[in-house]
Amino acid sequence: MIAALAARLAWRQLFSNRARLVSAIAGVTFACVLVFMQLGFRAALFESASNLPRALQGELFLINPLTLVMFRPEPVAHVRASQVLADPDVALSVPIYLAQTKFRNPDTGRQRTIQLIGFDPEAGAVSFQGLNSLTDALKRIDTIAFDRRSRPEFGPIAARLEQSGPFEVEVGGRAMLIVGAVSLGTSFGADGNAVMTETNFRRIVKERQPSKTDLVAIRLKPGADAQAVKHRLTTILPPDVVVLTGAELIAWERSYWEKGTPIGFIFGFGSLMGLIVGMVIVYQILFSDIATHLKEYATLKAIGYSNHYLRLVVMAAALLLALFGFIPGFLGSTALYSVVAKATLLPLGMEAARALSVFGMIFAMCAIAGLLAMRKLGEANPADMF
Amino acid sequence: MIPPQKMGPITLSGVSYTYEKGDRPVLRDVALTIAEGEIVLLTGPSGSGKTTLLTLVGALRAMQSGTCTVLGQQLMGATESQRVALRRRIGFIFQQHNLLGFLTARQNVAMALELEPGSTEQARLARAGEMLEAVGLADKTESLPGQLSGGQRQRVAVARALAARPGLVLADEPTAALDRQSGQDVVRLLTDLARQRGVPILLVTHDPRILDIADRIVAMEDGKVI
Repeated sequence: MIAALAARLAWRQLFSNRARLVSAIAGVTFACVLVFMQLGFRAALFESASNLPRALQGELFLINPLTLVMFRPEPVAHVRASQVLADPDVALSVPIYLAQTKFRNPDTGRQRTIQLIGFDPEAGAVSFQGLNSLTDALKRIDTIAFDRRSRPEFGPIAARLEQSGPFEVEVGGRAMLIVGAVSLGTSFGADGNAVMTETNFRRIVKERQPSKTDLVAIRLKPGADAQAVKHRLTTILPPDVVVLTGAELIAWERSYWEKGTPIGFIFGFGSLMGLIVGMVIVYQILFSDIATHLKEYATLKAIGYSNHYLRLVVMAAALLLALFGFIPGFLGSTALYSVVAKATLLPLGMEAARALSVFGMIFAMCAIAGLLAMRKLGEANPADMF
Repeated sequence: MIPPQKMGPITLSGVSYTYEKGDRPVLRDVALTIAEGEIVLLTGPSGSGKTTLLTLVGALRAMQSGTCTVLGQQLMGATESQRVALRRRIGFIFQQHNLLGFLTARQNVAMALELEPGSTEQARLARAGEMLEAVGLADKTESLPGQLSGGQRQRVAVARALAARPGLVLADEPTAALDRQSGQDVVRLLTDLARQRGVPILLVTHDPRILDIADRIVAMEDGKVI
């Protein structure tokens, strides 16, 4: 009851000075957008970093324990892919070859680094969208499928495919025929992707020894317990490979970006900066509101309002600003996400969990500003009113 | 209409006060009694301690020595929350009107009523309207203080001071910021309303034009009642 009355007084005070209200809301909105963008980029990075592992179908995977991140894999002995077939629950195992090489933009002639992914497309270990219809075409010599979600700097590949069908490009210094497009997505480690068979992979990456692969995807028989198989495989395989479930492989890839690079810290720091700027703005507004109404506050104290009530008024003003600033901040960030997602091809989008946590942060930011501004209330001394 | 709170007279004795930074006391052994319904004017040169006395009686300042009983509350040694509670039963009128600029006249008066437990918004606004009518501002209830003249604002302040049916009204130079005519109007309005309700008034003033409204005039000089 008393809180509602205090909130109403705060509301009336905020709306009495529209210019100040607008600048306060703009400050909160700015902080809100900044935090949303920072957290969005961070999430997109981690999300896109695991684009490839998420597209791989397989209950279990083998990787070299020294592999930090998939765009820079350490080799796995090819023979491990055959050895796991000894387990009765393993249905098939598919070696996957990963390498990065140069791709020449057919329009501009400029070269960019592209991620090559080689595997047997018929084995059913990988499910890129659009791959199934290309299986036969990819079996031909010197063919690749191009990731339509690659960055535009590689050239208008997908558009040209639709217009005039397959055409040749230079990949790793070799002329390769693009026979179709799949959909995978860029990551911070790869600006674009090209998918091909094991044989065609070797024709581009000639220095690769046939005895080495980079990743092994394992499909289990229906009803098999992945954890139990993982345990069995771990005990029989030598320590030059680790057995990971799909979720563990994604986590492995993410943890490189989270822990092995300063990127997570940078975006966290950016968010903190946004919150501090927002807090200073809200503090300034609340502080000057109190300073200009000091006499009125002192009068309220004189006629029997407690300090507690006035603190509630300041806190209510802070939280109202949080709310007023968050709503446009949320809408603006949602719009910005789609703009940035289009420009960067990163998987950027508004998520309920992130919206909630940013709201919590903005709320806390305004509450702290309110607590700091409250100290000014002590100067409202009713004894000075006479 | 609920009768005003009859809580006995205001009695002070042996009240002395020294400001932290001051070297000599501003009040020295002051004794004063205000009977129920009595209108007392406090006069004296500036620096004589009359405003300090008013803030002590109004529980706006903690007592240092002596005894002071206001509406049944002993103020010597009273806690902050006891003083806040007592202030709710006192009507204050200041030199400046000190109305909240972003509230209408009616909302300003209603602010004095929000502290009454169990009151409804409707009842508060209705009562605020009655009070504004009583001070002759029935047509200005929805005006902001900025839209009112100085005299009208001070009349809103009178309405606010009396709205919560106080047991005592304290006023400090209520005419200081007003011209002769509106100053007199405001003080007459205040004293008339207080007399109707039997509320005692302690009013500090320099203004010789309003001395005739008092039941008693108390002169102070150099921290003492003379």
